[in-house]
Amino acid sequence: MIPEIEWLDTPAVFREGQLPAHSDHRYYATEAEMALQKSSFEQSLNGTWQFSYSPNAASRPKNFFQTDFDAEQFDQITVPQHIELAGYDQFHYINTMYPWEGHEYRRPAFSEFNQDNFTGMFSAAEYNPVGSYLQHFDLDPALQNKRVIIRFSGVEQAMYVWLNGHFLGYAEDSFTPSEFNLTPYLKAEDNHLAVEVHKRSSAAFIEDQDFFRFFGIFRDVTLLAQPETHLDDLWVIPEYDVNQQTGQLNLQLHFSGATRRVRVTFKDQENLLFSDELTSAPTVEQHYDLEQPVVAWQNERPYLYTLQLEIMTDEGQVIEVIQQLVGFRKIEIKDRVMLLNGERLIINGVNRHEWNPKTGRTISDADEAWDVDAMLRNNINAVRTSHYPDRLSFYDRCDQAGIYMMAETNLESHGSWQKMGAVEPSWNVPGSMNEWEPAVLDRAKSNFELFKNHPSVLFWSLGNESYAGSVLEKMNAYYKQRDATRLVHYEGVFRATEYKDTISDVESRMYATPDEIKAYLDNSPKKPFILCEYMHDMGNSLGGMKSYIDLLQQYESYQGGFIWDFIDQGLLVEDPVTGQSELRYGGDFDDRPSDYEFSGDGLVFATREEKPAMQEVKYYYGTDK
Amino acid sequence: MAQTNKQLAVIYGDVTLGLKGDDFHYIFSYQTGGPESFRIQGKEWLYRSPKPTFWRATTDNDRGNKFPVKSAMWLGADQFSHNQSVSVAINGQPIDLPIAPENNRYTDHEIAEKVEISYTYLTTTVPETQVTVTYTVEPTGKMNVAVAYKGQKGLPSLPVFGLRFIMPTTATRFSYQGLSGETYPDRMAGGIPGQYDVQGLPVTPYLVPQDCGIHMQTDWVTIYRQAVLDNRIRQVPETGLKFSAVNQPIAFSCLPYTAEELENATHHSELPAEHRTVLSILGAVRGVGGIDSWGSDVESDYQIDAEKDIEYQFDILF
Repeated sequence: MIPEIEWLDTPAVFREGQLPAHSDHRYYATEAEMALQKSSFEQSLNGTWQFSYSPNAASRPKNFFQTDFDAEQFDQITVPQHIELAGYDQFHYINTMYPWEGHEYRRPAFSEFNQDNFTGMFSAAEYNPVGSYLQHFDLDPALQNKRVIIRFSGVEQAMYVWLNGHFLGYAEDSFTPSEFNLTPYLKAEDNHLAVEVHKRSSAAFIEDQDFFRFFGIFRDVTLLAQPETHLDDLWVIPEYDVNQQTGQLNLQLHFSGATRRVRVTFKDQENLLFSDELTSAPTVEQHYDLEQPVVAWQNERPYLYTLQLEIMTDEGQVIEVIQQLVGFRKIEIKDRVMLLNGERLIINGVNRHEWNPKTGRTISDADEAWDVDAMLRNNINAVRTSHYPDRLSFYDRCDQAGIYMMAETNLESHGSWQKMGAVEPSWNVPGSMNEWEPAVLDRAKSNFELFKNHPSVLFWSLGNESYAGSVLEKMNAYYKQRDATRLVHYEGVFRATEYKDTISDVESRMYATPDEIKAYLDNSPKKPFILCEYMHDMGNSLGGMKSYIDLLQQYESYQGGFIWDFIDQGLLVEDPVTGQSELRYGGDFDDRPSDYEFSGDGLVFATREEKPAMQEVKYYYGTDK
Repeated sequence: MAQTNKQLAVIYGDVTLGLKGDDFHYIFSYQTGGPESFRIQGKEWLYRSPKPTFWRATTDNDRGNKFPVKSAMWLGADQFSHNQSVSVAINGQPIDLPIAPENNRYTDHEIAEKVEISYTYLTTTVPETQVTVTYTVEPTGKMNVAVAYKGQKGLPSLPVFGLRFIMPTTATRFSYQGLSGETYPDRMAGGIPGQYDVQGLPVTPYLVPQDCGIHMQTDWVTIYRQAVLDNRIRQVPETGLKFSAVNQPIAFSCLPYTAEELENATHHSELPAEHRTVLSILGAVRGVGGIDSWGSDVESDYQIDAEKDIEYQFDILF
């Protein structure tokens, strides 16, 4: 496989040499490791890397992947980190407009306005910065002589990867992990890992989220060794019978490597409920009926069971241990009302961007834990991962905290159909363009495969503000066909009504007034209604929430919403006049055009202090308790 | 508080009306258009004469729904509305305004049981309207302040209405009985009733400085200050001045800045150094809204109709 720089230009190339998406389960060599949540199969490559910044592809160091490359001129950078926050390139905040607005005239590849003239749009652009990363690493002893893959948990926005001079592959989709098999080229010592990150590619058309536009390796980089027999993928499908309060467990397991014994145990929070032994195979399907009544998982009582799988040699020596937390719950729609475990679901939700005022979208475990605690203490019971998949650990936290998740696919093309507030979809991406379909469907697949085992995920969301067309319709069909245990959400179909019957299980709107909601619900509604965004908490806001909460009493099919949003996106930088650290926003960095303070819409300030409005949220979200 | 059986000493000056009692000395000016001095327990509480206030620093939602475009004239009114007339009543009886030479009839030992001074302000709006503020002072030093806005057809919705006191130095703290946190008419259900102490003069750190710090449904608020500007005084104890609701709860904000100072800053670092205490005792507050930040107005119940009268009163005591 020979890398081509023109891959940046076409949506047809988005995933070269990557391993297939799979469940996010962790695996360990021993139970002791598992108890400490420290797997000897993992080696972090976070830390100091060598780095070179180039303003465009033409000026990048093209041969830096070669093992004899002299990196004398390279700087150092900390990974993970946005390149802008490391001191290169410009901070730029912009909302719906594409970031090249006023700088470049661009129309998406394969659209009516650009059928075949897109080569070079990004690869030959005068401004499309490149970060060239180098890391030399030795393999930890525990990882040696094993199959080893590398996982990039988040790289924005397009990336080429080489190991020891060999090209491994190419990835887009900034917010889902990209994995490559290192094994054929790996050495025990002095490996030469080269990663070339481009700020923009054709993916920029479908990653037009309302946030600071950063690039670089902004989430963890991890080596993952695999024992000779390994569980590649796990799908635990717990079924909950609401009337009988009984549960069934369906397992779909995919192993690689030699055939081995697999011990299965299943526990509630006190007792072993059953154990079994299987034989590993590329595909294993297993079904269990639970004898005792099960405790259902829900917000007030996030009861989790534990499935443990141990891969053993014939002699019974454990070589891999996996623990998967399992929640029994049932989400369904009856008579246009969403029911969770047989009871009407009320969404007291919030949208959440990942944010830290010093490190941007590179956030810490402590940030994440704070966010979940803040939700719990303020009666917030649901979160929409606006508008991309979050760090893997956030889904675990929500399982354990009982926070309902709307797991959103990394898709937003706001600037392709809405201009200055008006709907104008003449070149909507992906719209109904077949050429964009594989890239977009792949994002849906990654989102599903990664998070399919999380009881907290009640909704798959197709993305945000991307209008609608046949591609969104196919995404909807993908999720429906793949997963009968969850609902599909999409809001944009509200404006493209011809897709109403084939996209989204719920009627979702954003910022609809209480009267508009009543108008929908009073006129033969076909679907339950939620607000995927409401109560826009910009600055001093969040007045009038009562009018929305009152609707919960008036309409069974009105089932709440997600406040926009959780945390202000402001950057702490030093004010050159006062020397004090201060929160800055769009336009404060000569970045134009900008949407200025429009990134300050959170229930908490960027510094993670609650805004005064939070007590109102706590009150109204607590009224149904 | 002094004993209640005493009388006020009244000083019929040429430019001001002085009122004295135990531990207090008030000066009401005919020239500055309002009280010029509240000196209590040796400490001055006024920097400039209190004036009606009509403006709040534009919130993000206000900007989005073009409220300041529609109601901009209240910004001018907040800055430039002026005193039109003053009247005085002694023991409930109106008297001719005791300026020279009318005041030559008085002596150096005048007393009264109750003195009312009423200031009428003319707004700089088109059309214009009036606000009357009446101070009724008792021998104890307790003062009732009655504020009356005259509704006027054709005036745009008000951002806020109240009386703004600017004190010479920053407060050390304030305490109040009302609702927890920062509350607005359409965002106060979550406020928990109680007595609260606030240290300093916090400005809520919204990304762009904007109106903040309103406390609805307040029974009383006491402002505590220590520092004074009087060059003779080296050491002063912290003392408080209490503003107490009468009949209906009041709303207030206590900030180091005027609405205009907040209005002009794009970041907190651009705000001036904190020198004063700006206390607004409010009779009407516009809600903040929340449906969106690009057009939806505050719900109608929480807008302030400028075509209707607004009246409220409160006591000042120490």
